[in-house]
Amino acid sequence: MLESFIVPLLAATVQSGTPILYATLGEILTEKGGVLNLGVEGMMSMAAFAAFFVTMTTGNPWFGFIAGGIAGVFMAALHGLVCITCLGNQVVSGLALTILGVGLCNFLGTPYIGTATEGFDKFSFPVLSAIPYIGDIFFRQDALVYVSYLIPVLFMFFINRTSLGLAITAVGEKPAAAAAVGLKAVRLRWIALLGGGFLIGLGGSYLSLAYTHLWANGLSGGRGWIAVALVIFAFWRPGRAVFGAYLFGGVMAFQLRLQAVGTHIPSSLLLMLPYSLTILVLIFSAMRGRSGNAPAHLGINIEPEG
Amino acid sequence: MSQTDFTRPECQKATGFEGCAPLISLKGITKRFGKVVANNDISLDLYPGRIKALLGENGAGKSTLMSMLAGRFRPDEGYIEVDGKRVDFSNSKDAIKAGVGMVYQHFMLVDTMTVAQNVLLGQEGGFFVNPKEMEERVRKLAEDYELEIDPSAKVSTLSMGEKQRVEILKLLYRESRVLIFDEPTAVLTPREAFRLFEALWAMTRQGKSVVFISHKLEEVMAIADEVAILRRGNIDAEVSRDKITSKADLACRMVGKEVILEVDKEDVEIGDKVLEVKDMTGIGLRDINLEVRKGEVVAIVGVAGNGQQELVEGVCGMRKPPKDKIFIMGKPWRKFFAEMTWNNSMSYIPEDRLDLATARNLDLVDNLLLSTRQGFSAGPLLQHDKAAKVAEELVEEYDVRPGRIRALAWQLSGGNLQKMVLARELYRQPHLIVAEQPTQGLDISATEEVWNRLLEARKMAGVLLVTGDLGEALQLADRVAVMYCGQIMDEFSVNDKEKVDSIGLLMAGVRE
Repeated sequence: MLESFIVPLLAATVQSGTPILYATLGEILTEKGGVLNLGVEGMMSMAAFAAFFVTMTTGNPWFGFIAGGIAGVFMAALHGLVCITCLGNQVVSGLALTILGVGLCNFLGTPYIGTATEGFDKFSFPVLSAIPYIGDIFFRQDALVYVSYLIPVLFMFFINRTSLGLAITAVGEKPAAAAAVGLKAVRLRWIALLGGGFLIGLGGSYLSLAYTHLWANGLSGGRGWIAVALVIFAFWRPGRAVFGAYLFGGVMAFQLRLQAVGTHIPSSLLLMLPYSLTILVLIFSAMRGRSGNAPAHLGINIEPEG
Repeated sequence: MSQTDFTRPECQKATGFEGCAPLISLKGITKRFGKVVANNDISLDLYPGRIKALLGENGAGKSTLMSMLAGRFRPDEGYIEVDGKRVDFSNSKDAIKAGVGMVYQHFMLVDTMTVAQNVLLGQEGGFFVNPKEMEERVRKLAEDYELEIDPSAKVSTLSMGEKQRVEILKLLYRESRVLIFDEPTAVLTPREAFRLFEALWAMTRQGKSVVFISHKLEEVMAIADEVAILRRGNIDAEVSRDKITSKADLACRMVGKEVILEVDKEDVEIGDKVLEVKDMTGIGLRDINLEVRKGEVVAIVGVAGNGQQELVEGVCGMRKPPKDKIFIMGKPWRKFFAEMTWNNSMSYIPEDRLDLATARNLDLVDNLLLSTRQGFSAGPLLQHDKAAKVAEELVEEYDVRPGRIRALAWQLSGGNLQKMVLARELYRQPHLIVAEQPTQGLDISATEEVWNRLLEARKMAGVLLVTGDLGEALQLADRVAVMYCGQIMDEFSVNDKEKVDSIGLLMAGVRE
């Protein structure tokens, strides 16, 4: 049971949790700076396509991986143009970004449906993969998973131990306070938004380069929305985001396996599992009353003075 | 501590800075917002080792002037000189670099971050930061200036006085030479205020120049070396503290006419009980007994945060008190609020004028309707024209400026907004008025007007006055109740000289 079911399930958990992890951390960074970005789903879709397309043309999946991140930055810039520059409504802009991203990637991607491409394959990480169970779960994965292990640590370090991280936190909490000490609040919001966009984009890359090695429409499949919900579940803390992302990854992997085994439960109910869990998680977070952990100026534009 | 008495000890005098050139000079500064001239051709010199008080009524342009000095706004005309050299601040960073720092009325602190992080924000000196080392730096700085603070504490857990110390540390860390304080004592207890003054004196001894914006006359008298009086955007007078003979003299200079800070209080017949609180324990309060009769003013005094807010919210229906403990106009709390009518009932004048008493983005007519809606209804329809007419009359009667009923609430100055709130609430012909800090932040003439209106209102109502200003309580009230830690320490007539003298002790929780 352990060898044949649990360990492979947990290994699959890590794999399906990874894109969500990238996206959740990206959204946390964005929101730390005070911008609410509901366009994650669209950004991931566009990034997945950009990653697929660049890999297909260049043959180098690393180029594709970065291209996905850059696509995320471009999408985030669109959001920034509306919300930071033109002071538009962040919720509306984010929703529009999702519709745009999903639609555009389907439009661009349709000719390539089913086309396979290079990608990241699983390999055993030297030494560590020899650890019983742990090695099988965590260290027989693809390169992007290994990269994702580093990101939460770097993220925490960035937020708590660098002046830029503190400045971004300050701007999300109280832009006026940041401005009063001479920080450029608007610029810092851009940095957080674009940086977050890059991470969200990397999550999208993972979908087309490692999760699958071929293009299909609707690859993102609601993961962007789950990431938005996970930010609340994680109380804006990267450590809890890791837990949350793997929890969702686990549920996704589990329902796939159940479908494969062929249970009596209708597959549509199983497919519903991650989304029902999203609702449960949000109720749980609300009951814990910690949504007060949200950056105080989240979703509120910085009006120019004078 | 019975009355705020701050005198500057001889040892606190800053010496050795006589004859120094000004650190900063403002030269002919003019600033307009649209058609309104906020500052008109203002020139001012700030000298090291001296405290300059900037005195003026609300809306006189004090804050605007200092915001320009702190780099938040740019003057339309005129310029600023630092050490005799002309400078041009395009943002607050430039001002900080030139040594100008400002402690705003609303603290510019990030609540979720620690004291040390707040102090060093934007000044970490390097990309990587180390929390322990940051806290050590701040601890050392605080010790140098004898400001007591825990550098690792989260700002959200601090008291107002402590938060202010964090703001001061921010400026000291940036080696500001000119420190501007915008009404710094408004949020402090008298004890904390005195500690602030000690810190200000310590700063002047080190050659810093302090600008103290206030309209509390006794404070200005106590700590200023020079007083600049701003009226309608102009510097009306700049005098040395020695030339000012008394508080009345200063008040007179400030408003340009003799102000009677004492109001005449005619006797009014005492009527029925309009509010009764019987042995109430709960919602953060203990053993509260209180009675307000028609025709009298009962003042609740105490240091903010000792249960006054809970009491007010309980009485006014914002918080559910224990059953059958509060009776309003003879009815139990639940019954009263279930049957409440818009007039001949209860009026509440909240401390927070802009967000609780009014809706900031609505005009004066809609704001009038907030609590009088039922009075302007014909069936399901709202009689907007009638309301506009009444608003017009009230604006006229109470002299609310600007005299337009279509002005939005946020566009009014604090004093005018308060007049409008008062006009609305008195229009309802209440039998019970709960007034919370009704003159906080108002200038002398507005204060006087509010006081007279409240005294006038005794003819129809009993007034429960919650105030942090002892002078106000003694001026208006018939009886005073002192609150401490959710309890009423004592309650007595204002004519009871002995008890009145012990209010300070009672506020601190000391019972003889």
